[in-house]
Amino acid sequence: MRVKVQPIGEGLHPNETVVEIKTKRGVERMTVDRRSIERSSLSVGSPLGSDGDYRLVELPRETMTGAWRVWVKRGALIEDTFEAREARVA
Amino acid sequence: MILTDREIRIAISRRLIEIDPAPDSETAFSSTAVDLTLDSRIRIFKDADPGVLRIIGPTQAGFDANETIGALTESRKIGAQGFDLPPKVLILAWTAEYVGLATETRIAARVEGKSSLARLGLGVHVTAPTIHAGFKGQIQLEMVNHGSVPVRLKSGMRICQLIFETTLGTPEKGYRGQFAGQTAKGPGKRAA
Repeated sequence: MRVKVQPIGEGLHPNETVVEIKTKRGVERMTVDRRSIERSSLSVGSPLGSDGDYRLVELPRETMTGAWRVWVKRGALIEDTFEAREARVA
Repeated sequence: MILTDREIRIAISRRLIEIDPAPDSETAFSSTAVDLTLDSRIRIFKDADPGVLRIIGPTQAGFDANETIGALTESRKIGAQGFDLPPKVLILAWTAEYVGLATETRIAARVEGKSSLARLGLGVHVTAPTIHAGFKGQIQLEMVNHGSVPVRLKSGMRICQLIFETTLGTPEKGYRGQFAGQTAKGPGKRAA
């Protein structure tokens, strides 16, 4: 699965960018490599839990508050299809 | 279990590990690690104004590490002459190589220093060496010269090594789990 993110600014390295993720506890910010963003989303693997309309996901990097796992709205997740992953590898 | 050079190559060929540009197949590998090199871009902490008290509060609401570090540091490109890292000084640096670990993999990695540089007092990370499955990007290094004389850094020099380890089992996020693609109301919170 992929979680939708909003790029908001430059990272500390030219290849990095800072993104925002809307979570149940508010907005989390995280620095990621530009190449890891596709379709305004980041790969997060499979959700780890479910609570009503929220899904627990593990982010690819630690957020600025030190979080790895965050609850995000189900609608913020998009399917990372096998075909899409294969297309990126190719 | 630590991956040997042979297993690392197999993992690269299966795209479980991505290193770009690819490490030199003859000289970058050792029995249980791969050397990575220093990117030209570094960030140097600016001199503190002695008249101003500055304290960083990471737990303060709205704390933004990127903004804080950005304000405290300035970007510098290592030129042909290199950059002389003074003793007892912290800088931020990056590997030149982009590293990717597949989310579904049973592989994690640790970034470690090289003994040849460690003997000079050069440290390449400050207690945060773990590269988790799903990581993608250039690895940030927190470099400190613990020695007594400046160490000249040049872009492209071998700066650290990556040690890959297999995990006991696949991380939860690597499974095509019970919540993947779920569209109906979920079954409730995961058991603790």
